[in-house]
Amino acid sequence: MQGYTLAELLAVEASKYVKDDEMNFVGIGTGGQAWIMAVGMPTVAVCLAQHDHAPNATLMIGPVLDPLLDDIYVPDANWEYDLIHWPCRCQIPLEDALGIFRQGRLGLSFASAAQVDKYGNFNIARIGTKENMKVRLPGCLAQTDHGAYANRICVTVRHNRRTLVEHVDFISSAGHENREGLPGGGPVLVLTDKAVMDFEPSTGLMRLKSVHPGVKVEDVIENTGFSLIIPSSVPETSPPTKEELQLIREVIDPKRKFLEARITQEAAVLEE
Amino acid sequence: MIQRTSKVKKLKDAISMIADGDKVAIGGSLIRRAPMALVREIARQRKRELTLYSWSAGMDYDLLIGAGCVKEAWSSYCGLFQFGMAMNFRRKVESEEVRFVDLSESCAKDKFRAAAFGQTFCVSKVPLHTSMMENPEFQSIIECPFTGEKYVAMEAYHPDVAIIHAHRADQYGNVQWKPIRMMDNECDILIAKSAKKVIVSVEKIVDESVIINNPTWTMLPKMYINAVVELPYGAHPNSCDTLYDFDLEHGRLYREYSQTPEKFKKYLEKYVYGCPEYEDYLNLCGGIETLSKISRDTLEVE
Amino acid sequence: MKYTLEELLAVEISRHIKDGEMGFVGVGTGGEAFIRAVGIPAVASRLAQLCHAPNYTIMFGPILDPVLDAESIPETNFEPDLIRWPCRSQITVEEALCIFKRGKMGIGFASGAQIDAYGNMNIVCVGEYKNPKVRLPGPLAQPDHAAHAKRVFAIQKHDCRTLVEKVDYISATGNQNREGLAGGGIAFVFTDLAVMDFNPDTDRMRLRSIHPGKTLKQIIENTGFELEIPEKVPFTQPSDDRDLELIRTRIDPSKKWLNAEITKEPATLEKNV
Repeated sequence: MQGYTLAELLAVEASKYVKDDEMNFVGIGTGGQAWIMAVGMPTVAVCLAQHDHAPNATLMIGPVLDPLLDDIYVPDANWEYDLIHWPCRCQIPLEDALGIFRQGRLGLSFASAAQVDKYGNFNIARIGTKENMKVRLPGCLAQTDHGAYANRICVTVRHNRRTLVEHVDFISSAGHENREGLPGGGPVLVLTDKAVMDFEPSTGLMRLKSVHPGVKVEDVIENTGFSLIIPSSVPETSPPTKEELQLIREVIDPKRKFLEARITQEAAVLEE
Repeated sequence: MIQRTSKVKKLKDAISMIADGDKVAIGGSLIRRAPMALVREIARQRKRELTLYSWSAGMDYDLLIGAGCVKEAWSSYCGLFQFGMAMNFRRKVESEEVRFVDLSESCAKDKFRAAAFGQTFCVSKVPLHTSMMENPEFQSIIECPFTGEKYVAMEAYHPDVAIIHAHRADQYGNVQWKPIRMMDNECDILIAKSAKKVIVSVEKIVDESVIINNPTWTMLPKMYINAVVELPYGAHPNSCDTLYDFDLEHGRLYREYSQTPEKFKKYLEKYVYGCPEYEDYLNLCGGIETLSKISRDTLEVE
Repeated sequence: MKYTLEELLAVEISRHIKDGEMGFVGVGTGGEAFIRAVGIPAVASRLAQLCHAPNYTIMFGPILDPVLDAESIPETNFEPDLIRWPCRSQITVEEALCIFKRGKMGIGFASGAQIDAYGNMNIVCVGEYKNPKVRLPGPLAQPDHAAHAKRVFAIQKHDCRTLVEKVDYISATGNQNREGLAGGGIAFVFTDLAVMDFNPDTDRMRLRSIHPGKTLKQIIENTGFELEIPEKVPFTQPSDDRDLELIRTRIDPSKKWLNAEITKEPATLEKNV
């Protein structure tokens, strides 16, 4: 890739899905690359949208609602002390956060997962069956809540056969396989290091939308653990424009707090 | 950077968002911090056939009922507290011009909370064996699938609009109350969150930096708010937490005017229809200078 | 020492308050209604704390466990003063109502326009609900107390309009049918003339004691239903000098409670007697 990083490419792509006047959600995240995919990149995406086409969009990041997202306001560390002092318009109790989801006021929710299947079911609970568990993962957190109630969900994962599977081992967030009784819209976007996927409305199955510059469609097929819907022509993911890169590098994230997870004090880069 | 949307509206324009036949939820309780300026504007615009929801109502309900705006109202109370009975409410409920649905404080709160938390119904044991059960809305008894206990199922409120009065907000609709507020202001939060649209009047519109300096005071972030109207003494003659007291003089005057429909018409003509602008009402009550005699705390931090 | 009706009732009620429990007092309206619903329970509560129930607390609207000595009582019951009333906790309505639902409320002090032979109470309407003769303010939290409080203490005016065979609207469930309700129902009715409780076998109201100076005839004539009258009915124990002294010097010297001075619309119950 030239002139921009994978994290920048994904942030710009994700920002196109942020709508004006909606509230978006990112979790607090863990560390390293996982943090960049779950928190850093999505935060930059929302801020970029605020600058570009969604000035009234807001972000909920844990208990911090509608923080100021330009670099000068963002704390240097994501320790409790710094988070509490992050300038924002509101700090909300957990009860309120969960109430907001259930009222259907959550626009785009950013998720990450250990497994994502062809229907967009996510899994962050366990690998293996109930009886024969291979890996016990941390647990559902609020992912199930988002899966039920968010208007739209964007998940960012590594593109390999271990992650993109035929069927997840545990459904921690319901995709399009069966949404009966669930008010939310389910997943709309899967971002990986190779491609952008969405879901075919008639079947609810995952479909290739674009491949990142330099990535071949065969490469994507080979690294996907199920048969992905491939349209007759697959465009390239649009690279960030000069203006977008300038905004990210000068205003939004010059110190790479988000796109290199420097705010977590455990810096990382999304490329291998 | 492209501009964010300001939600600041003129009193008239904000209330024109309410249509005849709407279900309107009103904040405040008893004779405390009801959004009386918004209420008077509803009456002044002669809205009709409204359904009202509140936790515990006072002069807000009485005035709207007296002005002929209401066909149905739900609450745990409607009275003027130390000033006695709400006479317009009494007359029109006694003559069946207004349907009033009684429910207890917890049931009223349960119904707002259900809506605020995105649920379509809630349950309570409280109505069992009371006359609340006479209403068709309280007929559904369900059993707890785990213990077999009986509960009355109650539908969540679905108000079209909520009107509330708060201490301050920024132009984008981030709404704050001083933390010294009476704790039952939390009902207003649920009431606002239950509604499709929210109109809030505030004592003062402040710069966003003031909000950002005290984000824990923001009880209603902008996502809930559709219109912000700056109306100092906007709860008058109700009290507004520690900011100002109930106006005893006006309370007695209201009590006097509401004794008969004829007299109340005079009240409406003078204080509602005769006040096309909010300033006209303030001037009738002696202006900000006179009203400052009921003032107590300021909006600043103590 | 001579005593007033308000003092007699406050002292009598205080005797029934148990150590360690919590009582609920509403915020009340004005005049006589305030004295019955708020003033008398407040004084009874402090007297009980001073005499035999040091761990008893009250919930007074959003104010939990306020300091009940005279020097701490606010000048008025208007909002800015109430908010600054010294207390150990200020709670949300949510929490207050949950305290009931979790069964933590010992005594719910109540007062209504009607109370019937079975202790059902009514503060909603006189006459038919749909087409009432008199429309009253509404139930407030009365159904909540009646459903969940361990004991309800009613403080009522004693006349045939108030004490009726059957209330026109049940805003608080009495003792006859409590299926599914966790609370203990109504325990006592305190009036201008007497103290009543309920016969556990019949669930009907029963005369317990007659206030000094009142007569059985007066009570029967002023009760709108057939009150159960035991063979021997004692007099309500008069207030003793210690209690009166405490009330007049320490608890309520300026009659904020017992004459509703705190509401700035003072009143007295005496004129009814």
